[in-house]
Amino acid sequence: MSRLGERFRQGGIFVWFSGTLLAFCLAMILCLVGYIVAKGMGYFWPSPLAQVQTSEGPVLGEITGHEPAHGEETEKLQFRVGNRDVFGQDFRWIPAAGLSTPEYPKEAVLIERLEYGPFIGRVASLSHEGQTVATGTSALQEALKHLPEAERLRHHIQTIEKGQVGDLNRRIEKLRLSRHKLEAKGDVAGLQALDAKTADLQSAYDQLQTSLEQSRAEAKAWTLSLQTADGQIKECPLGSVVRVVPANALGPFGKVRVYLSRLWEFVADDPRESNTEGGIFPAIFGTVMMVLVMSVLVVPLGVITALYLREYARQGWLVRAVRVAVNNLAGVPSIVFGVFGLGFFVYGLGGTIDKLFFADSLPTPTYGTGGILWASLTLALLTVPVVVVATEEALGAVPRSQREASLAMGATKWQTLWKVVLPSATPGILTGLILAIARGAGEVAPLMLTGVVKLAPAMPLDSTFPFLHLDRKFMHLGFHIYDVGFQSPNSEAAKPMVFMASFLLLLVVVVLNLFALNLRRKLRERLGGSTF
Amino acid sequence: MPSLPSNQARAQRMDRFMAFLISGGGLLIIGAVLAMLLFIMKESVPLFVPPQSRSMGTLQAPRSGGAWLDESGKAVVLLSRKEGLKAMRVPEGTSLTLPSLSSDGPPLPWRLATPPGPRGDCLVIGGDDRLSLAQLAWSKPAGENDPARWVLEPHWQGGVKLSSVPDAIFHFRLMEAGGLGGGSSLRVVARTAGGLVWSETALEPSATLAWKPIQLDPSLHASAAAWSSDGQRLFVGTQEGRLLDLDPETGQVQSTAEFGEPIQSLGFALGQSSLLVGGARGKLAAYQRVRVNEVFTLQAFHAFPRLGGPVLGFQASLRDKRFLAWTPSEAVVDHLTTERRMFSAPIEGLGVATLAPRGDLILHANEGTGALRLWSLDAPHPEVSFGLLWGKTHYEGYEKPEYVWQSTGGTDDFEPKFSLVPLVFGTLKGTLYAMLFAFPLAVLGALYTSQFATPRLKHTIKPAIEIMAALPSVVLGFLAGLVMAPLLERMAVEVFIYPFVVLLLALLIAPFWSRLPLPFRNAFGTGREVLWMVPVLLLAVALTNFAGPWIERVAMGGSYRTWLQTAMGVTYDQRNSLVVGFAMGFAVIPIIFTISEDALSSVPKSLTSASLACGASPWQTAWRIVLPTASPGIFSATMVGLGRAIGETMIVLMATGNTPILDWSPFNGMRTLSANIAVEIPEAPLHGTLYRVLFLAAFLLFVLTFILNTVAELVRQRLRRRYESI
Repeated sequence: MSRLGERFRQGGIFVWFSGTLLAFCLAMILCLVGYIVAKGMGYFWPSPLAQVQTSEGPVLGEITGHEPAHGEETEKLQFRVGNRDVFGQDFRWIPAAGLSTPEYPKEAVLIERLEYGPFIGRVASLSHEGQTVATGTSALQEALKHLPEAERLRHHIQTIEKGQVGDLNRRIEKLRLSRHKLEAKGDVAGLQALDAKTADLQSAYDQLQTSLEQSRAEAKAWTLSLQTADGQIKECPLGSVVRVVPANALGPFGKVRVYLSRLWEFVADDPRESNTEGGIFPAIFGTVMMVLVMSVLVVPLGVITALYLREYARQGWLVRAVRVAVNNLAGVPSIVFGVFGLGFFVYGLGGTIDKLFFADSLPTPTYGTGGILWASLTLALLTVPVVVVATEEALGAVPRSQREASLAMGATKWQTLWKVVLPSATPGILTGLILAIARGAGEVAPLMLTGVVKLAPAMPLDSTFPFLHLDRKFMHLGFHIYDVGFQSPNSEAAKPMVFMASFLLLLVVVVLNLFALNLRRKLRERLGGSTF
Repeated sequence: MPSLPSNQARAQRMDRFMAFLISGGGLLIIGAVLAMLLFIMKESVPLFVPPQSRSMGTLQAPRSGGAWLDESGKAVVLLSRKEGLKAMRVPEGTSLTLPSLSSDGPPLPWRLATPPGPRGDCLVIGGDDRLSLAQLAWSKPAGENDPARWVLEPHWQGGVKLSSVPDAIFHFRLMEAGGLGGGSSLRVVARTAGGLVWSETALEPSATLAWKPIQLDPSLHASAAAWSSDGQRLFVGTQEGRLLDLDPETGQVQSTAEFGEPIQSLGFALGQSSLLVGGARGKLAAYQRVRVNEVFTLQAFHAFPRLGGPVLGFQASLRDKRFLAWTPSEAVVDHLTTERRMFSAPIEGLGVATLAPRGDLILHANEGTGALRLWSLDAPHPEVSFGLLWGKTHYEGYEKPEYVWQSTGGTDDFEPKFSLVPLVFGTLKGTLYAMLFAFPLAVLGALYTSQFATPRLKHTIKPAIEIMAALPSVVLGFLAGLVMAPLLERMAVEVFIYPFVVLLLALLIAPFWSRLPLPFRNAFGTGREVLWMVPVLLLAVALTNFAGPWIERVAMGGSYRTWLQTAMGVTYDQRNSLVVGFAMGFAVIPIIFTISEDALSSVPKSLTSASLACGASPWQTAWRIVLPTASPGIFSATMVGLGRAIGETMIVLMATGNTPILDWSPFNGMRTLSANIAVEIPEAPLHGTLYRVLFLAAFLLFVLTFILNTVAELVRQRLRRRYESI
């Protein structure tokens, strides 16, 4: 007993205990990151389509979940049955009791469509302008042959709809605004010229519409006739088929191809079906744009502040207090910055800009509503302390001897700073910037108030003058996660998308952080400085 | 001074310029950043600005018995029994020409006319002894601001034949079409020589109104009466100071309340459910009919400062819960919920007062002289006071004073409820659960890393934890809300017993470990306990998976949720505080860990060496020497962690149900200040009350976290100086 007491007092067991807690922390991190990676990366892999017989008829779909018996609840299997237009829901929970063993029919296909989510079933026939061309397996082969053509046509239609029609609309809107001005002035000749221009644009618009109608009719010429597992027939024009995945018939290479093509679609395409399908390119683009604008704003802000605090200000209690205050800003909740951004930038500055420069289009606000400029400014404020702290540290680490040498040579203070101190401090400033970017990229709360939207009609950077539209709203990866996961009507179907978006965001943030930490470590080793 | 070479002069000019630029720019940026606080404060200050009122002069007008101010406050309609309707522009006092009364109006002179209500409706008994309802309204051309171009279009209904003309009409209510007949009907309560009478009639010239007497206790004498909002019940005030709630059909009294002095007048605040009662000696109070223990009772729920004479009448604003009351010597505007007196002005003589529908203009018409007095009242946020934000408030429809946050409602006359207490409570609750989870893990983990782990292990652990700090909170929130919450719901028992299973397992394994040869233990165990514990933790997961369902079956009768419900009286919400605590703990752990670890590793080596040399074991050194020395650092780490947890938005937004409730139970959710801002501010109208209250919440968050961080920073600086001196 006394031996046990002795050991207790020596505390070896507590060492083990604290080790266990640490192990638990590490395990949690590993599990979390691993879970996101597995869920996100696994989503695009074509899973087999299983068919089972239930008391209500056959069910065909991917097995996506399994719930063991628990309390009064019996064991259940979750099937992703697709065909939202036929069944009304994408997923079904089916009691495992009384199920036949699953079969994997070779001819089962998963067809990703533009609307109503995927179709899961069999291809019955393919027809061209009402004439049946092929049936059964050959219909599938034939459809695959015509798919690229249909896809090309769809892209063509999309380009016209988004590019040319949008462009025309903008020009007509512009004319409408200048018409107001002319009317106010009473310029009759100008008005007539304007009307002529409007008529021209209108006729161009009508022409586009007719060619669009033609293309649309063409796109509907090829039609697939699809059959669900319980025998219902569904017609689907080939033009609205995104991808045909005969999941059970694919070999490993075919699966890799499907995987890569889905991955590419995810990274490079626009979202569909209220963000639950398709890609997230606009969100990635928006995030990158916002971070870039933020960086452009935050570096001068942070570096000037740090230079002032360390090089120019008289060191005393006031500067110490300011330094503490600036550091503490890093701990102020991001939502507070968001509130400030909304009140000061959006309503205050933006409202004033609108009154001064965009009075024509009022009451529709231009800058007086959330936009990428305001969001970036808000985040720049939020991340300024990070840059200030890193820059100050870097400035402090430049050896005194170097400065003194420069000054002794007769260089002015600014020349010393510009030619000697700042170059050695650049990696430190860069570290600060990277950390600021990593912090900024992961923030969502302030953006929700200052300009992020679930679906932006236009990108903040495009080919129409003035190319960079800082007043536009934008999409953001982090907000996408929140919106699709929590505001979407079909969040169960969208979950894999959210995992993938989380994975992307995590990847960006973690890689940036690792990079910055490494850089900082190397710097510290080189300069031998250290901070508490 | 010899002239410098030109490039040197340029360099010096540049130097001066840059010094100016950087100093100026630096000061500007620092100023701007600190001005944030001022801006946020400035936006919330108008909430606490006291109401401003101003006299707008006296106008001379014909004597009148009632007045109705237009929504815009630019025109007033005066009712006089002799001359009918007159209109004036205010505050100028020029009279507006009116088209002659249309043929459906009652013939002059009128026998009786009630003062118009806030929507401009009044009852008139014309010279032909027929009763009509007038609904006054201006017809305004679109965008026309000049009252001279408006046309008054009173909408007359009725012309109902009366069985007898009453002495006074107390109150009437228009009952919207509901019955099979389809038309709307009118309920009137009045006083005749025989006492209190009432009647219901259709608004058609063919109808006849026959008064039905209401039998009161013979000792009571009715002095005022008002219909309830649905017109089904009648509130009667008596000269004996008793307030009755009765059924007019049967005369049966359902509940009574003692007012304390003779009741002079009754009225309603916006929403028609708070009954305002004015006494003959100036007492002013509000009653509501509320269900207490399944019985409807009349409850006095607000009292206002006394007035100096009999309260002659009430007029409610159509925008909020303010109302006007007046006596022969004084007119006041009070706010129902906050009980605050917003306006008070002396008047002379009997008369009728009225309040503009927006509540920003007060008018008093003297019955004797015809003088009209006008006041303006500027009070944009009367519904908020310090007491309302932080104290219990008795809202309409509530049984007792409560802390409520409910900013929007379905109806126009909904009263927003702005108690910050549930939100502060939610913030503290979330923070508490997060800290309960994070603090021991982070501090003991840091202690282990700094004191016991091998250097190589230390170099892998620290970056891993720093990466954890970089996890975007939206990802944590998503995982918490969509993965952890359903998992915890399914496996709550397993999660609860997991720590005990780990402990049990460790105790079982310990004897085997201590049997191993010492050299082996020293070579592979010391400093690598973490790695050895990983398989134990995994094994514990497997064991828990078996034990959990068994325990649930045996000890809880199959389902822990029903067990919680029946045995503990607790309901289980899927998105609850445990999930939040877990996810937010995840965000806080790396912060506490990093700062604590720094503090623990910088404890001077001389101290630990001395302790070890005296024969203390490593743990004793760590626990008795290192930890107390570094405790200010750990304190500061905790402060910074607290700051982060208090302000965290996305995690709580996604992982709680966001219901503002006051309940410490770990099994239900909460709404925090920060999540509340995120949820509500996109919908808040610019510079409205909600907008400003949310800015106040942001200000609170700012100040709170700023103080926490400053305290942490100061403690850390002192600690650093102490280490340097050792």
